[in-house]
Amino acid sequence: MTSVTAAPRGVDADPEVDEKTEAPPSRSGNPWGYILRKIGLFLLTLWAAVTVNFILPRLMPGTPADAALARLAQNGPVSEATKAAIEAQLGVPTGNLFEQYIQYLGQVVTLNFGVSYTFYPQTVSELVSTALPYTLVLVGLVTIIAFILGTLLGVLAAWKRGTWLDTLPTVGGAFMSAFPYFWTALLLLFFAGYVWRLFPTSGAYGPTATPAFTWDFFVDALYHAILPAVTILITSLGGWILGMRNTMIPTLGDDYVAFAEANGLKPRTVALRYAARNAILPNLTSFGLALGGVVGGSILVEQVFGYPGVGYLLFNAVTNQDYPLMQALFLMITLSVLVANFIVDILYGVLDPRTRR
Amino acid sequence: MTQTRRRWGAAALAVAAATTLAACSIQIQSAPDPSIPDDTMLIAADTGSPMMERNFNPYLANKRVASFYIYEPLVILDNVTGEEFPWLATGYELPDPSTIVFTIRDGVTWQDGEPFTTDDVVFTLNMLKEFPATDTQGVWGYIASVESDDTTVTIHLQNPDVPAAQLIATTLIVPEHIWKDVDDPGSFRNPDPVGTGPYQLGNFAPQQYTMDKYEGYWQADKVAAEHLILPGSNTQLDIATRGYDWAYSYISDVDNVWVGAGNENTYWFPPGGTIALFPNLAKEPFDNLDVRQGLSLALDRGAVGDAAAEGYMDEAGQTNILLPYQQDDLDPSIPNSGLIEQNRDAALEAFGRAGYTLQGDQLIGPDGQQLSLSITTANGYTDWLRGVQEVQRQWSAIGIDVKVSTPQPAAYQLALRNGDYDFAMGGTGGTGSLFRDFNSLLSTDFLKPVGEEASNNFERYDNPDAQALLDQYKVALDDDERREIGYQLQQIVYNDLPVLALYYGGSWGLMSNAKFTNWPSADNPYASPKTYESTPLIVLTSLEAVK
Repeated sequence: MTSVTAAPRGVDADPEVDEKTEAPPSRSGNPWGYILRKIGLFLLTLWAAVTVNFILPRLMPGTPADAALARLAQNGPVSEATKAAIEAQLGVPTGNLFEQYIQYLGQVVTLNFGVSYTFYPQTVSELVSTALPYTLVLVGLVTIIAFILGTLLGVLAAWKRGTWLDTLPTVGGAFMSAFPYFWTALLLLFFAGYVWRLFPTSGAYGPTATPAFTWDFFVDALYHAILPAVTILITSLGGWILGMRNTMIPTLGDDYVAFAEANGLKPRTVALRYAARNAILPNLTSFGLALGGVVGGSILVEQVFGYPGVGYLLFNAVTNQDYPLMQALFLMITLSVLVANFIVDILYGVLDPRTRR
Repeated sequence: MTQTRRRWGAAALAVAAATTLAACSIQIQSAPDPSIPDDTMLIAADTGSPMMERNFNPYLANKRVASFYIYEPLVILDNVTGEEFPWLATGYELPDPSTIVFTIRDGVTWQDGEPFTTDDVVFTLNMLKEFPATDTQGVWGYIASVESDDTTVTIHLQNPDVPAAQLIATTLIVPEHIWKDVDDPGSFRNPDPVGTGPYQLGNFAPQQYTMDKYEGYWQADKVAAEHLILPGSNTQLDIATRGYDWAYSYISDVDNVWVGAGNENTYWFPPGGTIALFPNLAKEPFDNLDVRQGLSLALDRGAVGDAAAEGYMDEAGQTNILLPYQQDDLDPSIPNSGLIEQNRDAALEAFGRAGYTLQGDQLIGPDGQQLSLSITTANGYTDWLRGVQEVQRQWSAIGIDVKVSTPQPAAYQLALRNGDYDFAMGGTGGTGSLFRDFNSLLSTDFLKPVGEEASNNFERYDNPDAQALLDQYKVALDDDERREIGYQLQQIVYNDLPVLALYYGGSWGLMSNAKFTNWPSADNPYASPKTYESTPLIVLTSLEAVK
């Protein structure tokens, strides 16, 4: 990622190339060759990821039945019959690894991951489709807000370098992003949730509500999302501010910015249209990747607030040796990160012709 | 094993919060929701998942806990006192050790108004046979055939087995007129449950559901709470602040956090099992009784219990009997109720018999090496880990090199079953059935070589005398004879040290006297305070409304 982010800075530093971005991208030969190479690489990475996704959970010691028994054994002695009944219920895989792999590839293609071990008899698709919307809305929306807000604050900080408008977001951002997620979450939970009783402390909607597409439910869900959203915002905002500020400052020293200023353009225009537009490229890359990671949810935040999202599912799947659920979730995460990477790659080819060679 | 930790993982962060809270000396106040009326009980029973599946199939591991308030067994066995409560059966008899005759209660109706009959019992048992995935207690490991007339159900066993009666009697009974049409009871989610119990399903939402009293219940006059509310999320701070009437949860610093929160909160933590160290008897030198005696005498069990359970649980006697509530079963000839005091000199003497001598600060064995062992416990079971660390401290003090291994729960379970450990933490006893408590600990039926999965007897104890006693118990119809066999089994555990008992695992019952009274307590220990399995039926039919 670092090598990618380094590239646009070179672009900005080189006014000659900057000029060329306006030119049609035919200069360095056939763009389709580049795209095909990228697609080929994408497919290879995808296969590798899918295979690793199959192998890793199986390297963990213990079987799903052991995990289920460990859970039951906390409440009382477990008999041999119970183990047999659980294995019968779960349909724990019996074939050899190769057979399981073939079966798994079939599942990946048809997107049918079978029945979850932990939440038996619910199917993996049922679980994921219930959890995904909450994560997408919560983590997705907050990631977008954090990116926009953080980038704007970063621009401001760089433009007003040395003033309190710089010091406050920079120091504050560094300070806040140093907080661990769960600590911020626990503090908010304790004070805003319990001491002042301003916000609900757990769940994605009120205890008596049933998910539906109604205005009441939407308001209820929004109210429940505030604390987890604020937690993610507080801890991720700093990164965007610092990233933007730090690429913006060298850009401000560039000749074309000085030229724009000398031409008497309004400071706001210079800051946003000239400097920020070029400096935003590395932040945009990170944003693409962050969006790709959104489907993974935010495990700690979802745990603390009992938020029924993908992170919560993932935690349960991993701790209970729930292969089907784990495979589906990891696949989903891997896929979206790969797709985000692929899009960023293609975008770079468009934005910076030199990467196409 | 025991009720030491329910859902520790999910609660761990809340524990941290509770600790922070205690450290900051902020007194949490309970603020019950004023919209919950006086006849409605708020219960923290269905913990863990913020998204609850509408699954009321009583035979599935992931059922909603309230399935236990809807479906009833023939007999309820209380695991704290070991007492039996006749429920859908008015009683049972064993004309011989291989035949059980249940007399079925008259006047019981299903919640849809249909009468409950002996046919329902026969249907349920046969369904468990046809669909082994539903037979979670394994009753068809004992039953040969079932027959019935209008008032009785007669079960013929494969072999003489008196204690099997209790196991079969605790099977939850489902209605034939509904379940006969279910294609696969092993995956049926039973979204609209109909049972014989005191409560029917009210409103179900993924984060909370309610139960309403069934007015036609066969002992409706004894049911004080008209409605139950079961939220899906019950963090410890929720429990302390939201005015729960009944909760089952370990709470750190319970006197301040729970009782101090007001709302007439009270608690009762009776022993629900014995937390013990399982030695690997298939491994040298732990197969040597002298070594085990030395290790046992080197332990200060009270300190281990205090470290593990903040002083709420007592040290356990070396008898596999839960005291004080099962005092009647205890062999009076065992000194000091089976409690073994720490005695460094006696420990060193026992080690000496096995050829271990203290040289400097190391206990050196006949092979010239320091006695070295590792203790395996599951990752995330923080109470066990604190106990293990205390054991490690005490054993190190007598010159033993002690390592601690904390694999994930599934890997821990596998290590325990495969005998892949030196010492492992585990629970024993606490089923309420003296036979099952000792059978799963000592029976050679479960004996497997190291490397093969054992379902019980994880320590791989191989003693034909113990097995002979267990076999004798299976055919003993006389109470006095059974008590005598129980005494001898306790003697074996006390003298032969197949496990090293440490402390009692608690049943963490938290109750409020604000709306309902007559909760089980140390003064009135009529049933376990737990909110799951069938004993809550006893509690729910014993409570009295305050207003």
